[in-house]
Amino acid sequence: MPIGVYVCHCGLNIAGVLDMDELKRYAETLPDVAVARDLPFSCSDIGQEQIQKDVAEFKLDRVVVAACSPRLHEPTFRRAIAKAGLNPYMLEMANIREQCSWVHMDRPAQATQKARDLIRMAVAKAALLRPLERETVPVSQEVLVIGGGVAGIAAALDLADAGMHVYLVERRPTIGGYMALLTDVFPTNDCSICVLAPKMSEVFNHPNITLISYAEILNVEGSVGNFMVQGQKRARYIDEKLCKGCIDQCASVCPVEVPSEYDFGIGKRKAIYVPYPQAVPLVACVDPKACIGCGRCVEACQADAVKLEQEPEEFKFNVGAIIVATGWQPFDATRKEEYGYGRYRDVITSLQLERLLNAAGPTKGEVVRPSSGQIARSIAFLQCVGSRDATVGNIYCSRICCMASLKNAQLVKEKYPDTDITIYYIDLRAGGEGYEEFYVRAQKLGINFVRARVSRIEQEDGDLYLIFEDTNTGEVKRVKHDLAVLSIGLEPDRSADVIGNILGLSRRPDRFFEIAHPKMRPVEAHIDGVFIAGCASGPKEIQTSIAQGSAAAAKAFKLLQKGELELEPTSAFVDRDKCIQCKLCVDICPKKAIAVESPAYVDEAACKGCGSCAASCPVNAIDMRLFSDAQIMAQVRAATEKKDEFPLIVAFLCNWCSYGAADLAGTSRIQYPTNARNIRVMCAGRVDPDFVLEALRRGADGVLIAGCRIGECHYVSGNDQALQRVNVLKEVLGKIGLDPGRVKIIWCAASEGEIFARQLKRFVDELKEMGPIGTELRAGEAQEAT
Amino acid sequence: MKLAYYPGCVSRSTGKEMDLSTRAVCEALGITLEELEDWNCCGATHVSNELVAVGLAARNLAQTDLPVMTPCSICYSNLRTAAQKLEDRKLRATVNQVLAQEYSGAKIRHALDVIQEALSQNPDLVVVPLQGIKVAPYYGCLLTRPRGVDSPEFPTVLEKLLKDLQAEPVDFRLKTFCCGGPIFMPRQKAAEDTTFKILMDAKKAGAEAIVTVCPLCHIMLDAKQKALEIKRGEKIGLPVLYVTQLAGIALGLGPDELGLNMNAVSPIPMVERIYEKMAEQS
Ligand SMILES: Cc1cc2nc3c(=O)[nH]c(=O)nc-3n(C[C@H](O)[C@H](O)[C@H](O)COP(=O)(O)OP(=O)(O)OC[C@H]3O[C@@H](n4cnc5c(N)ncnc54)[C@H](O)[C@@H]3O)c2cc1C
Ligand code: SF4
Repeated sequence: MPIGVYVCHCGLNIAGVLDMDELKRYAETLPDVAVARDLPFSCSDIGQEQIQKDVAEFKLDRVVVAACSPRLHEPTFRRAIAKAGLNPYMLEMANIREQCSWVHMDRPAQATQKARDLIRMAVAKAALLRPLERETVPVSQEVLVIGGGVAGIAAALDLADAGMHVYLVERRPTIGGYMALLTDVFPTNDCSICVLAPKMSEVFNHPNITLISYAEILNVEGSVGNFMVQGQKRARYIDEKLCKGCIDQCASVCPVEVPSEYDFGIGKRKAIYVPYPQAVPLVACVDPKACIGCGRCVEACQADAVKLEQEPEEFKFNVGAIIVATGWQPFDATRKEEYGYGRYRDVITSLQLERLLNAAGPTKGEVVRPSSGQIARSIAFLQCVGSRDATVGNIYCSRICCMASLKNAQLVKEKYPDTDITIYYIDLRAGGEGYEEFYVRAQKLGINFVRARVSRIEQEDGDLYLIFEDTNTGEVKRVKHDLAVLSIGLEPDRSADVIGNILGLSRRPDRFFEIAHPKMRPVEAHIDGVFIAGCASGPKEIQTSIAQGSAAAAKAFKLLQKGELELEPTSAFVDRDKCIQCKLCVDICPKKAIAVESPAYVDEAACKGCGSCAASCPVNAIDMRLFSDAQIMAQVRAATEKKDEFPLIVAFLCNWCSYGAADLAGTSRIQYPTNARNIRVMCAGRVDPDFVLEALRRGADGVLIAGCRIGECHYVSGNDQALQRVNVLKEVLGKIGLDPGRVKIIWCAASEGEIFARQLKRFVDELKEMGPIGTELRAGEAQEAT
Repeated sequence: MKLAYYPGCVSRSTGKEMDLSTRAVCEALGITLEELEDWNCCGATHVSNELVAVGLAARNLAQTDLPVMTPCSICYSNLRTAAQKLEDRKLRATVNQVLAQEYSGAKIRHALDVIQEALSQNPDLVVVPLQGIKVAPYYGCLLTRPRGVDSPEFPTVLEKLLKDLQAEPVDFRLKTFCCGGPIFMPRQKAAEDTTFKILMDAKKAGAEAIVTVCPLCHIMLDAKQKALEIKRGEKIGLPVLYVTQLAGIALGLGPDELGLNMNAVSPIPMVERIYEKMAEQS
């Protein structure tokens, strides 16, 4: 197996510190190396052509490039060797720039030593590389959108217009979400339902959309490209095909009246109802909790659409991708007991005010005090109710309520110029295009702003008194109002819990669904093929919810448009003869990609290649296609073949965070000791205790394992698993008489080059203190002897 | 039922009637109280030093396996705060280093909660119903903090008890307002303003008496009432009873057993009215 080794100068970036000649000559001496060269810029066209020429001339079947970080140019060199006819995975890189020349600038001799080791390790691994094929699997080109709020509607329409078939599953009898219930909406104060209703009917009429309303998802199996979805459509007790949505005939004879959830309890509806006139589908619905079964509606309906004996219907379909747009639910204001919501009638929520302001609402747009029915003359808005409040477990800002109150205050003021309005706020948050202008407009309208978190509301002789400290003046005040509006925060929809569990989505501490990366992947879930849009991943306004719906649609479209998926060959695979069916791997796999059906089986489309299963398998029956056990072991052995430094550290760095941090230390030129020989793994969870023990057995003085910060693992829990394994390892070391401190686990984010350098330095110091490996064993023996 | 009894320092000084009535009421309810043998300060005197405060509380709690009952909201709050903090293993280990008896967890109850529970199960024990007597239920701040028996903002347990005693709880706006006690030393005027406000609010709500669960509240509302009347030139004349005293009256206990003569504003005339009313009715 002829190997070509290319040591890159990178101008003076590497050559300015390391001895290029020496490295090239050293590489020539390594086993199987047919040719070694030093190139001024290996990534340049000239450099790449040289490699390609050598592949032909020396019949190379694998290539080692000792240059910058593989995170930068691995794809470049893979492409280069593929052009020369090699399998792209027959490449290995030694990182002698970010993790060597840039961080050991004042110690060229030791740095060159380290680079020799790194090249030796790379060549050892290269010898064990295997050609890998990117497999393709056919995928379903249909998409499931869960939740028909404005975010889900945007996603469904974009996909359908682009030609993909969409199943839109909505839990309520109508789509539209909360936006359909709002009055005019900021920042332009246009009528909410007027802009939303056309979209809702477009959904209904679109040939590419199957709308399943009043339904629930019960189960999802499979993985990206091929999800099997199963659900149930609840009984409306109405034949959807026959119902004309006229509602007058049936509802007018219905004897039961209950508070309407679509008016947030201030209006009423009958037991047979349509949520609101623009509902989609425009079909009546019988509320089984309220219905007394008198059957009058059955008689009244001329279309003969009421079917009180209707049963729920099951449905099943396959999709290639899923968009979760389950939205939010309002904070329960009774939990802030000091404001008396539920005890004082004139304390209402912002959503109730939306309904009062709504011309189609229960008061036909009049803002009245519920206690008296009189027009409110003095209104207080209390901000951050249930948000930014640790006492109710919501420390986050709900983001839209400042703007919503500014909007509603304006609407009231425009309608009733004499009404006195005060907004009590902690900070006024109006960040967004046109938002600050919107705030200024409210000020100009004569709305008062008091910086205070109201401490309580008291009711005395029918009036409300707000008690607060005006933090601008430092005065404690008690001020009378006749209507208090609580700006309630947004919480994740409770029913979305079920969806979260079915899909295996993770949650942030604020309980909203977590996106794959808080900046770079705003609409992707941790699970491949699942996207999140709108308030399901945190409070946001309509504009952003729509943008996310469209973004999720684009992502789903990109994923499925070819009709097949190319899989990275990073996945795990099972040696069926070795597997003892202990199922450890099944529990460990963060992607739920492994099933045990005598023996274990890996769903390669779902596997992301973290390798935690391989590290945990007690009989080494699972291995990884990239970063295989044998390859990593070869690197460990090569690293410890010559011990030219004390202390010698074998370091395992996870690809996403700590390897990135080490690279960043390089780009920031943070200097640290040369003692570590780094081995890249996909995840800290990949580190098999065998690797660690082998390193120590062969004379490494210490082993460092570096992972993403706890809670930030790219495979959810790989670093936790690594920590558990290290803890067990430490016990083992203690038992055999070695200092448990020789194995160290650290966490650093990709942005924490400084921390990586500092931790490494500290480890070097600790190991110096301990002495070379085995010191403690000899000391122990000596003690026993005396 | 058997409970460990933690009287708290006030029982030996300004709150003897609290202690007396607690013992008497518990006896009448068939609750055996076993006073902690060697109790010390609940920690209130050392709140600025967490370790000492928690240590003091733990030394008390470690002396028994029974639930510990106290009639004082300050003690109640401190003991519970300590018990919560002692969930932290490190802190618990540190504290246990210096304790003769090891602390290993405790349940703490307030006399109010104990009495309310007993009476709601045994309504027949109320032999002198407080019918028609309007009482302002005053909680103060510490009974409900850290959150325990009842909601901190809108508790209702006292109202429930008053109804069990057949009294009439008035709608008392300032029922959870601070009594002013904690700031009396540094800011006497502000403290007095607060106390005055609470008393006037109770009066305005139509109360004939106030019921309290905390000896500091009691001092502020009862002992300082006379002086406030003089300073503000306003007659208040509201007897302020410990919850144990009020419950005791309904259980048919006599003024001496409940220490009613120790209150600054005498509740005796009210008691007499209650008995007269009862006589009229029978
Ligand atoms: C008082 C108030 C005023 C506001 N005013 C404005 C404004 O003026 N301008 C503005 O831009 N924004 C405003 N907002 C914010 C606006 O309401 C949100 O941006 C918007 O509702 C987000 O839409 P969504 O689709 O993400 O969620 P939602 O509107 O919550 O829609 C989610 C949908 O998913 C459905 N669903 C949930 N769980 C499931 C499930 N398990 N299966 C199936 N379906 C499910 C729900 O029934 C719902 O139909 C306001 C918010 C409040 C509280
Ligand atoms: S948007 Fe305004 S009202 Fe809403 S939580 Fe944030 S700061 Fe509070």
